[in-house]
Amino acid sequence: MMENKSIENDLSDKNTLTLDLLEHVTEPIGKYPYRGWETAYREQWKYDYTGRTTHSVNCAGSCTWKVYVKNNIAFKEEQYADYPDINPILPTYNPRGCQKGANYKEYVYGPQRLKYPLMRVGARGEGKWKRISWEEAMRHIANKIVNTIATHGPDTITFYSANPAKFAITYAGGLRLANLIGGVVCSYYDWVSDLPPGEPMTWGVQTDSCEAADWFHSKYIIVWGSNLLETRIPDAHFLTETRMRGTKIVAIFPEYNPTSIHADIFIPVKPGTDSALALGMANFIINKGLYDEAYIKQYTDMPMLIRMDNGKFLRESDMTSNSSQEKFYLWDQNTGKPVLAPGAQGFLGSQDWTLNLDSIKPALEGIFTVHTNTGPVKVTPVFSLLKQKVAAYDLVTVSGITGVEDCLIARIAREFASTKPARIIGGAGTNHYYHNDLTNRSHILLAALTGNVGIPGGGFDHYVGQEKIWCKEGTFDLAYPLGSTKQRFQPTTLWTFIHSHIMSDVDNLWPHPMIDYIRESVHNGWMPLFPEGTLDSGKSPKILFVWGSNFLNQAKGFESILANLWPKLDLVVDIDYRMNTTGLYADIILPAASMFEKWDISTTDLHSYVSPFTPIIEPQMESKTDWQIWQTLARALQETKFSYHDTLPDGTPVYRDFSTLVNDFTAQGTLTSDKAAGQFILDNSVGTRGMTMDGINEKPRRFVATGKEFTSDIKDGIAYYGLQRMYELKQPLSTLTGRQQFYIDHPWFLEFGEELPAYKPPVQEDKYPLRWITPHSRWSIHSTWRDAKYQLRLQRGQPVVYLNPSEATARNLIDNDALEIYNNYGKILAHLCISPRIPPGMALMYHGWEYYSFRKGGFQSPTTIRIKPTQLVGGYGQLKFKANYWGPTGNQKDTRVEVRKYKSG
Amino acid sequence: MAIMRQIQMVFDLNKCIGCHTCAMACKTMWTDRDAGQMHMYWMNVETRPGTGYPKDWENLGGWFNADRNTIPLPHIHEGYGTPWEYNYKEVLKTEGGDTPAPKLIPSPDPSEYPYASNWDEDVGKGTFPNSYYFYLPRICNHCTDPACLEACPRQAVYKRSEDGIVLIDPKRCRGYRYCVKGCPYKKVYYNPEEKISQKCVFCYPRIEERKGNFCSTQCAGRISWIGYADDTKSNIYKLINTWKVALRLHPEYKTEPNVFYIPPLSPPTYSFTSKLTDSPRIPIDMLAKMFGDTHDQNYDQRVTRIKQIFDILQNERNKVASGGNSELIDILISRSEADRFQI
Repeated sequence: MMENKSIENDLSDKNTLTLDLLEHVTEPIGKYPYRGWETAYREQWKYDYTGRTTHSVNCAGSCTWKVYVKNNIAFKEEQYADYPDINPILPTYNPRGCQKGANYKEYVYGPQRLKYPLMRVGARGEGKWKRISWEEAMRHIANKIVNTIATHGPDTITFYSANPAKFAITYAGGLRLANLIGGVVCSYYDWVSDLPPGEPMTWGVQTDSCEAADWFHSKYIIVWGSNLLETRIPDAHFLTETRMRGTKIVAIFPEYNPTSIHADIFIPVKPGTDSALALGMANFIINKGLYDEAYIKQYTDMPMLIRMDNGKFLRESDMTSNSSQEKFYLWDQNTGKPVLAPGAQGFLGSQDWTLNLDSIKPALEGIFTVHTNTGPVKVTPVFSLLKQKVAAYDLVTVSGITGVEDCLIARIAREFASTKPARIIGGAGTNHYYHNDLTNRSHILLAALTGNVGIPGGGFDHYVGQEKIWCKEGTFDLAYPLGSTKQRFQPTTLWTFIHSHIMSDVDNLWPHPMIDYIRESVHNGWMPLFPEGTLDSGKSPKILFVWGSNFLNQAKGFESILANLWPKLDLVVDIDYRMNTTGLYADIILPAASMFEKWDISTTDLHSYVSPFTPIIEPQMESKTDWQIWQTLARALQETKFSYHDTLPDGTPVYRDFSTLVNDFTAQGTLTSDKAAGQFILDNSVGTRGMTMDGINEKPRRFVATGKEFTSDIKDGIAYYGLQRMYELKQPLSTLTGRQQFYIDHPWFLEFGEELPAYKPPVQEDKYPLRWITPHSRWSIHSTWRDAKYQLRLQRGQPVVYLNPSEATARNLIDNDALEIYNNYGKILAHLCISPRIPPGMALMYHGWEYYSFRKGGFQSPTTIRIKPTQLVGGYGQLKFKANYWGPTGNQKDTRVEVRKYKSG
Repeated sequence: MAIMRQIQMVFDLNKCIGCHTCAMACKTMWTDRDAGQMHMYWMNVETRPGTGYPKDWENLGGWFNADRNTIPLPHIHEGYGTPWEYNYKEVLKTEGGDTPAPKLIPSPDPSEYPYASNWDEDVGKGTFPNSYYFYLPRICNHCTDPACLEACPRQAVYKRSEDGIVLIDPKRCRGYRYCVKGCPYKKVYYNPEEKISQKCVFCYPRIEERKGNFCSTQCAGRISWIGYADDTKSNIYKLINTWKVALRLHPEYKTEPNVFYIPPLSPPTYSFTSKLTDSPRIPIDMLAKMFGDTHDQNYDQRVTRIKQIFDILQNERNKVASGGNSELIDILISRSEADRFQI
């Protein structure tokens, strides 16, 4: 620890030469005679052994690190830099890491580290704790669980963690117990708004992005709201390196950020108007005939016929009674007749489940008459409707909306359409807006119109969150011993919205109040809401487990959650290696092993390798690995000898007997150790067949295969990219139409005017002038490292908010002033950083600061939860609830605030 | 010539993303030993335009000053930035007990000395949307004519013959800080705990094992190359001497630094009518005041050189984009790590 006193502040020139005897050195350049001391630094660099690990912080890095240990202390971290190269043409993945990973040891040994089980003794959040034994903690939790199930039912017990890809075993541990005892598992990907809704809507996939090496194949890249160079540090070099080989980089962001500085063109777009810009480009591309006609006929729904009377797809069931509602028509120009489009859902399992058109020559435009069961109906292809719809986005109009000069829009559109392969890289910058689905769909539209989806170097790729679980099958087999069909899943945005009594402030954007859409969705079984009966009888959750995630700190609508949801909870258990905001508001804290102290598995969509965490040092103090913690809890539950008859929402009965829980959890003792659990994952995943935990510890291994939830095969020597099976193998997608589907004929979409991509302005329902932008940062991954000293010293030491100089001047503010940031939802105190890289009208604060880093409020204090009804839809082709695949997103970028100088007292 | 070989380093500012992995790699290896090192970043990254680290170092002077008595020494708080401490133990009672302070507070209050080594990160200059900035990573230049060495009255500073690395002998150093004053790059730091001056050692224990220095091997942006000046086959040689795209930082300081920089391109500005121009947004003037080849080059020559380098980079990019090959672009990409570390 540094004492201020020990710093010699006065470095003035008062020293005089010490008159000790000193041999004169004749040639200090090249012939210094006293070099014996040099061993000192060589000694400092010596170590006893090294070990391999990575970090589970949901950064999408999944970087393999070497940890140097001396005297049982992990003293230095360095990237292992031993990823095998994919081929000699692509730049290597080495060295993969960032400055945060370079100093994780700070948490392993730092004061934030949790050392013992703790029980709250004061009020929640007051910070008063009593150290308790593991036994005491487990007995307390087990009794609470049993009593809660008996009194309120199992669906009042909720489990939240984020992201199996970042730590498969740790994640699976909690889920495995939930699956066995009947608890509710919360989604995370939609809640944190990292889920790009346009991908399930258009492609029927959760997300399928290329690995970073494939950027190197692109000849034109629009980096659109994805600040790669600041937030994808390990992968940034692929962008700067492909730029060197002549790839044009266009950066579209509202602010001039670290990605923009290395772009060939920076396009400042008004915040939240991205879909207008994309549709303006689409309009230009269509009008100038720059689209890839053959491609869109074969791989998109553009030629599919829409009934002009009701806006719905023309279905086989419209033409022949008792036929499929999942087969659709094209207008064949050869025969002048409607023909069924191959590849639709209705053809699944038949030889027509293909995207081969054979002799069909589909029309893209025109109005045709077909003879349906109920008489003649006029129909027209989706492309005709799209063309009409995007005609509204002419260059002048779009320029007015987006602030981008019209010639520049035309130029970018032309270049994008005429340079193949071209790619759009999207991210949180666009995805954290309320109308993220529309923006997403517009981006994919551009990539598809130009024939770029499904080819190396081309397409739309989205990077937020480490959602790609390459070893998916094994992870989920481990997580759901009774099967995922016997698991209660909860879309977290809906759960948090309802149980925190959030008042929707966007009702006036829709024909009905939000609660009506929620009721309809839950009533129709489109979206689950636990506990069952919440909307009718006001039931509420009782127990919340949070592990490996800082749920409360990161939650949109923080103030309402704390005021309304938290008091409903009888027990909040936080499992972590470090104390954080969620821990501070928990009742029981269990100390987990750090990332240097356990076996685990990590994967990411940014590369195609699997690498492990390994126990380089022992778990410190009384901490245990998460896998062991859940087993310990299973044992405590077993001791209660409790059993009950459970009935799942679909009526399935499940008898749950806790007296065999330990055996059930460990699969008769075969999964007792963390390493055995990891081996189970490797053995049961198609991508890691034949691999061992020791083998992946020797060297990261590239995946050998991909499961059916991936859209591409993985091939030796080729960087992974999405939708190859569609393009190369003509394999239909899992959308209703089997194609990239831009037209959604669900009644809500038709009613809202969102059957095709459209622009809707960001939510402007409040009176505040500054858009509250809380992007990912260089210095933290979410809340991890936000309170870390070595990182804080390389910033301004405390939370700052960035403003344009004109906004500061208008409010008489100077740099480093203490500010109050406020709106109707909450208040925060932070310090001002004035920078011309921020546009007027924006207040930018990097996200993830812990609540205890602010003297008042937190970075989510001004936010609320805004649900979009289109994202509550279910029962429609690809739009079916599945945890982390489809559900309402917890977006927050439509928030606005005002700032003023803070006067203390 | 007493120096048999000179190690050199090139930073490509078109690849630097300001991530500070280099700074952290160095910090966690060499300067987290004691409290007296906390203000030191032997490897630091600064946003330009900006005040740099230590604060305003370009205006502090060096041994070339006519009056060496007036060279100021940077103050730890005001000059290097306070290495703040935090009341973690009061806020996060990880061992149980009551918390007297629910908020995590840096001390001393950053507003007392509103400066830190990276205080003006990403601030930049210009008027939106024509704002501009870039990142400048800085390490000891292991100069051919080290001012620190010249300044040391005890001859505690020396240059190794086998690699040209400049070191301070801690046994001979008495902490007079003439080297701190002497170095115009301010890359020597005083350790008030150990009462001696310390500086970058170019990770010589690793160089001796033919491994790269940590700031290079851990560089996530893959922006750096190292090699020996006399190795004409090395990539640093080609970047500096064959392709002539790497420049020295402030060669007018006359110390002949051995660290080189490829100057940063930047996206074009917008005109008053929102039209995209073709002028880079980072003023050439600013770059010319920073970078050059030799100490005797004048301002105009530097401007010409920077424009010339930009032309070379653009021409080679275009050549590869249209299907050609370019040795320069291959080096800048450096597909394998062996392409960057040639020692």
